[in-house]
Amino acid sequence: MDLFSHLLDGLGALMGITPLLVIMAGVAIGILAGAMPGISPSMAVALLLPFSFGMTPSMGLVLLCAIYLASNYGGSITAVMVNTPGTPSAVVTAFDGYPLTRKGDAGTALGVSLVASVAGGFIGIIILVLFSAPLARMALKFWPAEYFALAILGLSTIASLGGGRWLESFMAVLLGLLLNTIGLDPLSGVSRFTFDVVRLYDGFSFIPVLIGLFALSEVFSGIESGEVGIPPVQPDKERSPWPTVREYLKLKYSMIRAGILGTVIGVFPGAGGTIASFIAYDVEKRLSKDPDSFGKGAPAGVAAAEASNSSSVGGALVPLLTLGIPGSSSAAVLIGALMIHDLQPGPELFTRHPEVVYTLFSSLFVANIFLLLLGLLGARLWIKAALIPKRLLYPMIFAFSFIGSYAVRSSLFDVGVCLVFGLLGWLLSRSKIPVSPIVLGMILGTMIEKNLRTTIMMGGVSLFFQRPLSLTLLVLAFASVVIPFIREKKRTGGGL
Amino acid sequence: MKRIIAVLCLVFLVALIPAAAFAAYPEKPIRMVNYVGPGGLMDVTSRKFVSIAAKYTDATFVVENKEGAGGLVGMQAVLEQPADGYTIFAATTSNIAKVLTSKKNVDEFIWGFEWIAMLMQDPECLIAAKDSPLNTWEAVHKDAMEKNGGQLWTGPAAGGNDHLMAMKVWDKSGMSAKWIPYSTGPEAMMALLSGQGAVYVGNPADIGGREGFSIIAVARKERLAKFPDAPTFVELGVEGLEEEAMWRGFAMKKGSPEEAMLWWEELLKKVAADSEWKEFLEKDGIDVVDYGREKFNAQVRKDIDNFTVYLKKYGLIK
Repeated sequence: MDLFSHLLDGLGALMGITPLLVIMAGVAIGILAGAMPGISPSMAVALLLPFSFGMTPSMGLVLLCAIYLASNYGGSITAVMVNTPGTPSAVVTAFDGYPLTRKGDAGTALGVSLVASVAGGFIGIIILVLFSAPLARMALKFWPAEYFALAILGLSTIASLGGGRWLESFMAVLLGLLLNTIGLDPLSGVSRFTFDVVRLYDGFSFIPVLIGLFALSEVFSGIESGEVGIPPVQPDKERSPWPTVREYLKLKYSMIRAGILGTVIGVFPGAGGTIASFIAYDVEKRLSKDPDSFGKGAPAGVAAAEASNSSSVGGALVPLLTLGIPGSSSAAVLIGALMIHDLQPGPELFTRHPEVVYTLFSSLFVANIFLLLLGLLGARLWIKAALIPKRLLYPMIFAFSFIGSYAVRSSLFDVGVCLVFGLLGWLLSRSKIPVSPIVLGMILGTMIEKNLRTTIMMGGVSLFFQRPLSLTLLVLAFASVVIPFIREKKRTGGGL
Repeated sequence: MKRIIAVLCLVFLVALIPAAAFAAYPEKPIRMVNYVGPGGLMDVTSRKFVSIAAKYTDATFVVENKEGAGGLVGMQAVLEQPADGYTIFAATTSNIAKVLTSKKNVDEFIWGFEWIAMLMQDPECLIAAKDSPLNTWEAVHKDAMEKNGGQLWTGPAAGGNDHLMAMKVWDKSGMSAKWIPYSTGPEAMMALLSGQGAVYVGNPADIGGREGFSIIAVARKERLAKFPDAPTFVELGVEGLEEEAMWRGFAMKKGSPEEAMLWWEELLKKVAADSEWKEFLEKDGIDVVDYGREKFNAQVRKDIDNFTVYLKKYGLIK
């Protein structure tokens, strides 16, 4: 009961005009920043960090966490409306969100992504408040062997991503893994395929690649197909574009499953919301009665992606608050914010500054409510984007792609990267090769390589099979690739 | 009439010339380029420095973040600017190590700078998990000798400052071990807590606020006032590790005006004596210094020589 009285105290501290305005501003900024391609949640938090210096530690943290939470949702708006994931974790939201919009059902896509975000956000916070200690203990059981196995499990989701085109998916994921070898070797620091270009030392910046592969390639395909007028499918004027409560309720189990998965995966530093959304999507597709609808506009796909990446915020705060270790790059910026205010992140925060911790917890609940309200308000505007004629929309996407790519590191090099990946994405989609496995390969490549080599340094390959957790994850990954094949074979009567 | 206006304009412009030539530095905002993102260690340090410097100067500082390639991106960005003293690079020891391990041109990336203000020395130390059986230097050393190179040490990137410190410890104490690099220091500390390694190499501030860690050896002449239980290497019988520290400081492009460099050296003296600045750093066991050009350049030269020896010895460079 102690917990609840602390939470109520925290909530009490927020009941004033200033704190509520701070949260509202944070949520509004977060939504807008997340929706801008090129500004990831961690950048949004970092950009507003200096504003928190002049506030009290609690208010500063409340502002930054509201931004963090809301920017994870904001990324889905552009993903759904124009196939441009504003954040890496919104890639998966685009899989089904954009097809829904193309079918003229942008309202469903926007509504489901918002409601799933809020639901996921709540699940993440509840788990954070109630179970942070046991989750932190679990995180400590994860050695490099387990991180490797988790990444392999993530990679195994390509088996379902390609929608039957497994060979093409496989090629694309390999391409992603290969692209990941560019840059400094993560363990020895030797430079690989960098041609002495300092900009390549850290490999390709992820956001320009993402914008190129998704947004620009879509523009190129659109120009090629000659559809430059008003989108072919108009929203139905008779019917309300928004889903009914019953339609949302149909997705409740998808949201809960994805929310729990997202929180748990978000706990592990380096894994985070993006991997969580791929795995949650994969799980939903496998459990679905109609798996073929995934990738063509299944609301459950949007719900899984959004619920899991929003819930990962709660997850990422678990190691931050219990161990002083950031669970994501945004959480790392929060550590900086704490340090500026002379607060040490970690367990001491609970004992020495409980008011900060519980105000933070309560503010996350409040921020989620604001997210729902502001999101609903905003959605009425965003949905109009579906009515913009392509001949206006394409130049806008083009311009924002370049600005977004430049903004990441203030570098023209990244604009070039975006353009090249745009062409690559267009060429690949002409050959019916899916681009999302490239993204997956690039996200997981470093994680796989580093943890594989670290495990071998620690005790050889056998370590993967001696540790029960890593063995379990590897078996799961193996099964999730092989079982669909066997099923397919049985159905078609042999031959692949 | 037109001619008169033209002449008046000319006179006005000429009158401006001496003002421009003799205007005291700084007459425009000074950009402070950081190689880490907002919230990173050097970023926090720069912003704190700026807030305290405001007590002593009206100059405007703009803290910028140019991340990437362990500082090479930021260094390059500063070197591409004119040598007018208005772009400063906020550096740490790690940048020197990075230039060496990535085999960049030392004359360009290190001596293309004038090292004008060294702010502090953050002592290097060895950290162990409190509950581990290896929670004293003696136990670690004994275990290392038994494992004969098989003991695991954790820390951030290979070839960085902490890895170099580890090599020095192994060399001076006649033991050997393996370096397991993690993406960040905190991740390496988490690995230590979960039993993946025996020792984490870092700085005293790393254990602040976190539970379950203890400092088992400090590379300093005397014990730290903040951590009186942590022994120095000399006390533990290991010689030659009395002054191992990570420094943070500011550098300016070589050839910048003398006036600008003097201004910085003076500002540093004032900030270093400020009680708020001292408190901010000393609570983490950091030693505040006020090294100007001469001492800072000498420190950088010493680091290069020292790092080169160990990087060669352990095969990271040829």
